[in-house]
Amino acid sequence: MEREQLVRTMQSILGEEGVVSEREQLRSYECDGLMNYRVIPDLVVLPETAEQVQRVVRTCYEEGIPFVARGSGTGLSGGALPVESGVLIVLSRMRKILEVDIPNQRIVVEPGVVNIWVSQEVADQGYYYAPDPASQVVSSIGGNLAENSGGVHCLKYGFTTNHVMGAEVVLADSSVVHIGGGKAPDAPGYELLGAIVGSEGTLGIATKITLKLLRKPEAVRTLLAAFEDTEEAGDAVSGIIGGGIVPAAIEMMDALCIEAVETAVHPGFPEAGAILIVELDGPEAEVANQFDQVIKVCEESNASEIRIAEDDAERALFWKGRKAAFAAMGRIANDYYVQDSVVPRTELGAVLKRITELGDEYEMRVANVFHAGDGNLHPLVLYDNDKEGDAERAEKLAGEIVYACLDHGGSLTGEHGIGVDKKKYMPKMFTDDDMNTMQRLRCAFDPHGLCNPGKVFPTPRLCGERPGPFKMHPIQKAGLAELF
Amino acid sequence: MTQQDRPDPRQSGNRYDATNAAERRDDQSGTTREQAMAGAIGAGNPQDVGQSTFAATTDSLQHTVGHDRPESGSYTFPAFDSHHPPEKDLIDECVHCGFCLPTCPTYVLFGEEMDSPRGRIYLMNKGLTEEPMNDTMVRHWELCLGCMACVTACPSGVQYDKLIEATRAQVERRYERRADDKAFREMIFQLFPYRSRLRLAAGPLRLYQRFGIDKKLRKAGVMSRLPARMRAMEALMPKLQKEEKIPEHASPTGERRRRVGILTGCVQQVFFSQVNSATVRVLAAEGCEVVAPKDQGCCGALSTHAGREEESLNFARKTIDTFERENLDNVIVNAAGCGSTMKEYAYLLRDDPEYAERAKKFSSKVKDVSEFLQEIGTVAERQPLPVAAAYHDACHLAHQQGIRQQPRKTLKQIPGMEVKEITEAEVCCGSAGIYNMVEPEPAVELGERKAKNVLKTGAQMIVTSNPGCMLQIQASLKRMGREIPMAHLTEVLDASIRGEPVESLLNGRGLQG
Amino acid sequence: MDTRTKNVSLEDLQKIVGEEHAHEATAEDAVDGIAPQFVVEPSTVEETSELMKLASDGGLTAAPRGGGTKMSLGNPPRELDLVVGTVRMNELVEHVPGDQVVRVEAGMRLEDLQDRLADAEQMLGIDPPEKGATVGGVVAANSSGPRRHRYGTIRDLIIGITVVLPDGTVAKAGGKVVKNVAGYDLSKLFTGSMGTLGIIASCNFRLHPRQEAARTVAVELSDTMAAQNAAQAIAHAQLVPSAVELYWSDDTRLLSVLIEGIPPSVEAQANTTSYLLRDFGEVRALSDKEADTLGFPDPPGVGVEVTVKISAPPAELAGVLDSVLGATERRGVTPRITGHAGVGVTYVALSGGDEEAKGQVVEELREIWVRRGGSVVVRQAPLSIKQRLDAWGPTGDYLGLTRRVKEKFDPRGVLNPGRFLGGI
Repeated sequence: MEREQLVRTMQSILGEEGVVSEREQLRSYECDGLMNYRVIPDLVVLPETAEQVQRVVRTCYEEGIPFVARGSGTGLSGGALPVESGVLIVLSRMRKILEVDIPNQRIVVEPGVVNIWVSQEVADQGYYYAPDPASQVVSSIGGNLAENSGGVHCLKYGFTTNHVMGAEVVLADSSVVHIGGGKAPDAPGYELLGAIVGSEGTLGIATKITLKLLRKPEAVRTLLAAFEDTEEAGDAVSGIIGGGIVPAAIEMMDALCIEAVETAVHPGFPEAGAILIVELDGPEAEVANQFDQVIKVCEESNASEIRIAEDDAERALFWKGRKAAFAAMGRIANDYYVQDSVVPRTELGAVLKRITELGDEYEMRVANVFHAGDGNLHPLVLYDNDKEGDAERAEKLAGEIVYACLDHGGSLTGEHGIGVDKKKYMPKMFTDDDMNTMQRLRCAFDPHGLCNPGKVFPTPRLCGERPGPFKMHPIQKAGLAELF
Repeated sequence: MTQQDRPDPRQSGNRYDATNAAERRDDQSGTTREQAMAGAIGAGNPQDVGQSTFAATTDSLQHTVGHDRPESGSYTFPAFDSHHPPEKDLIDECVHCGFCLPTCPTYVLFGEEMDSPRGRIYLMNKGLTEEPMNDTMVRHWELCLGCMACVTACPSGVQYDKLIEATRAQVERRYERRADDKAFREMIFQLFPYRSRLRLAAGPLRLYQRFGIDKKLRKAGVMSRLPARMRAMEALMPKLQKEEKIPEHASPTGERRRRVGILTGCVQQVFFSQVNSATVRVLAAEGCEVVAPKDQGCCGALSTHAGREEESLNFARKTIDTFERENLDNVIVNAAGCGSTMKEYAYLLRDDPEYAERAKKFSSKVKDVSEFLQEIGTVAERQPLPVAAAYHDACHLAHQQGIRQQPRKTLKQIPGMEVKEITEAEVCCGSAGIYNMVEPEPAVELGERKAKNVLKTGAQMIVTSNPGCMLQIQASLKRMGREIPMAHLTEVLDASIRGEPVESLLNGRGLQG
Repeated sequence: MDTRTKNVSLEDLQKIVGEEHAHEATAEDAVDGIAPQFVVEPSTVEETSELMKLASDGGLTAAPRGGGTKMSLGNPPRELDLVVGTVRMNELVEHVPGDQVVRVEAGMRLEDLQDRLADAEQMLGIDPPEKGATVGGVVAANSSGPRRHRYGTIRDLIIGITVVLPDGTVAKAGGKVVKNVAGYDLSKLFTGSMGTLGIIASCNFRLHPRQEAARTVAVELSDTMAAQNAAQAIAHAQLVPSAVELYWSDDTRLLSVLIEGIPPSVEAQANTTSYLLRDFGEVRALSDKEADTLGFPDPPGVGVEVTVKISAPPAELAGVLDSVLGATERRGVTPRITGHAGVGVTYVALSGGDEEAKGQVVEELREIWVRRGGSVVVRQAPLSIKQRLDAWGPTGDYLGLTRRVKEKFDPRGVLNPGRFLGGI
């Protein structure tokens, strides 16, 4: 289909305000939160209803046009990076909260609803939505679902996949399915919902999402402990978890991060080699008792300072400092490359040592902020784009860090997703058989490979048997694909 | 059991139901929703802890701006010239995290990346490198309200204010506007910064209102045929009072603590002169010698925010000249927009060797009235004013100057005053300088949103610190068929210090008759 | 459908697993009346893979089996040639207490795993009642017990999986870290897949610390509304119970709440629970012994009882109970009800009345609860009923997608044909 005709077709579905086709405007969509990769989409559409999404996908399906869904565009792995000659379907205008059902502790939202709005909606009834990625003030539920976002509270409460109860999904052939039940548990059939959450938008577009709500805990206590280095802090973490405590959140930041964050948001963190923020929540008696235990562990690990949040304002300040970590990096370096590696918690110490070694080897600074409880670390490789070769070295160093983590039994990504950014590392973690098996799932959902192609898997694999008339896939045309 | 029937778990009378983990200590009813964000990210100022963002309501606005905008086909390449383009260094500070999106009024209205701070910065970047300046680029920059909510929210500290002002200046120079657009803007800028001209317009306007001509025109259907912008202007006109004269010099009550100048302003003086009178009285009561230079002109805020560089610098120089010769400790401003620009003079005049140093000195003396009062401490006794007032944060006070606590504290120092928080307080009311005249559609929507939030507080009156906001909110309420008395912060203080009854604030302070 | 040549012999099987581990099937190995020819028990993933390849090439159909505790789930198989027993693959591969992660082969019995984990004061947060169930079986059947209220179901606990696909491919997904979004979450896909997509060879789970103390508080219920209100009161309170269980039969009508944790917390929460429950009936503490005797309706033998599982919105518990009581009373069937009242799962054992009546009860319940977004699944029933009634009930609009997934993983229909949803 000619572009002009495509524009007109989309305009007939969405109205003129729903279609962005001017070059300059398209450029503002050429990347998401990861600026290293940019692709100008052919067309950007902004549907406002599930029905419009379906009709847009129908057009793409009929014309063999690949499409990518985008929420708020804050992803860090390029999941919303547009596809060459493809359509970008932006869901930011689908932001209604459709149903609040406190008795059944569930809420139904459209995909463009921002994460924090869910908690805000039910806050005065004493409920909240647990998965809280640092981007929660802007990231959308649809995006959270695609990436299976975590957050600081996910050690205790789980990730998005543990809180999505049902979804209405538009598949690549534009058919609509309602999976997961959403109202009652244990819907018969395969756990398709579990497969879709975290599939990075490659299996379909969710247009209605049912989320689980949790009752706010009776008590919350937060403390901040300063240590001389990450090793001591790591000992404290082991002590806490080894003591049978499951903290609501346990986060660590190293000296570089502390410096950046102080400059950016002035939370008043103490100067230290590493700080730990520990939060406990639950029944009052349990929290009181375990909190004392945590303080003791920190003291035994030689904490130089322990601060207990007196009130919610102070608690908010601690978290503000932690959540600003990435963005604050801009204060101490021109550019940074954030990684998202996971290692078993018991290997954290060894991996941190290795990262320091690598940093010295490459003569680059690496700041570390991480979810100490589940071993998910975010090394931030700081560099200067204007310096010759710095960007490449940063990427190489980042790669070495990834390999180090894999060597220690970890994973490529804890919460940011593979996207385009980590595709090349997939063969390090998965064999061909593993990836081919995953591909089978993809073929079941999207035999024509139109839904966010080119993400997650290193070599785009097109499903061999595709129903319907044969149409050469754009990626195949470009010679980038292999037939599966 | 329906949702209404279910007993609120928190009120079951159970002694084990402990504190809502995210409630603020000083609970301000109506904003628990926003206060749920105990762990949310805020801005560069610890004051902003717990800052909320736009919350979606179930009747979330879906309206988007269509293509009906003045387009001229102007095309300039490269987009920017070498005189103060938006700085690459400042642009590079943006890491594309998107935290500004939910706080940006236009992003909330339109949901498009280009109409968000992140998108606008991106366009500026493209303009610096490869794209031309054309209708599309300019359109999105023009839609920016300049409310600076993004500056508050940005964790990387991007100075968006400097970027957008530099960009607007470039647009003024390098973008050829459509004739009617150009004419309209010229009209505004030939009128608003000049008190004498405003007065000339005020005269007929009073007659227009007194004889109910507006109602007759509306009834005759003439109003609806006027272009949107004219209608917008018409709707914004306040009920005009007789202009009060401000004394050039006022002596302090009791011991003299400071010698201060006051900016009487343009719109403020012609349409809300009673605010200036009140300000002078309050300052005098607090032990200040108050100087109101007769020959002061416009501070240049409207021009600065619109990118009319030459004009704004001229106004700035004149203002500095006028106040400098009075040997003042401070210059007090009671209009948020003016105050923020005057604090920027040092940056604006950085290229001018004659004025650079003087501007620095001058800017350091500029204080918003509530900021000033909290700084020097209050000595005048306040009489009780038992009233529930909703305090509205003007963007140029809250976001641009970071002044949020001082006005609230000032109000709370009045015995009997209950200060109500407006939900979505950080969201612009839509006034934004001349925005509500040049971009009436989004301004109307934002105004309505703000008005609804104000009504939700159930307050008896609205207090704010900016004439533009006052006009906008009054007009929005009127459109909804509602009316709430509005007063400037200093008018409230003045009533309290002089022992005036509450009625003086509540009666006859509504909209046009 | 291609023509099948079933030319696999016992010797072929024995060549892979060894003589002692492949034998002719007996009557006990039948699944819903369909008797397989052979039973084979591999001990490694490689053997399993070879077996599947052989079966697939030879056109055989097969059913995986762990402890054999849930072979009656699902519809009767269309055909069955081979049972693949996993009980020999029963090693605990790796347990790292510091990471709260365990890697275990699918054939290990859940009880044995829990015993081993208890040594390090940890546990897997799943407590299905079936004794002798293997870990793989628990995953494949999505079994759960009372503690799902607090810890979720097995899909919330599984973090990695190794499977053998019907064509012999060995694939893994996930890993041994709790936080992992690399690749598709196949672990979840296999949860509840009833052995129709592949044979689960090993799983990785996240663990929880064992709780120190426990107390059970129960309330005597006067009517079904009291049951719902009591359950809701507990669900919406700021408590963290491990289980909220309902028991309803002619002689017992109780809602019991299990509180586990450190002693001071258990004490305090138990008091709160008593306080909350007293509005709904007489409250008393339950001893461990008493709690045990209440238990699940044990399947006392095929052909005697029909057991169904009703999933419904949790806040409609009274409606569920009323619908069951009404439907059974009208048809002279006796129900014994247990349920996880906090999550909306209710199990009903039907006895008495004739088969026709029991079948009608199920259909009536389906009429009501499927429309309300729930499901009524027959877990256990005599063959005659199973041949009339679909075990799963009406499906939603995702049947086509479900079929396509099955076709991609098992194009030849080797595993458990006909037992799953929609006859897949």
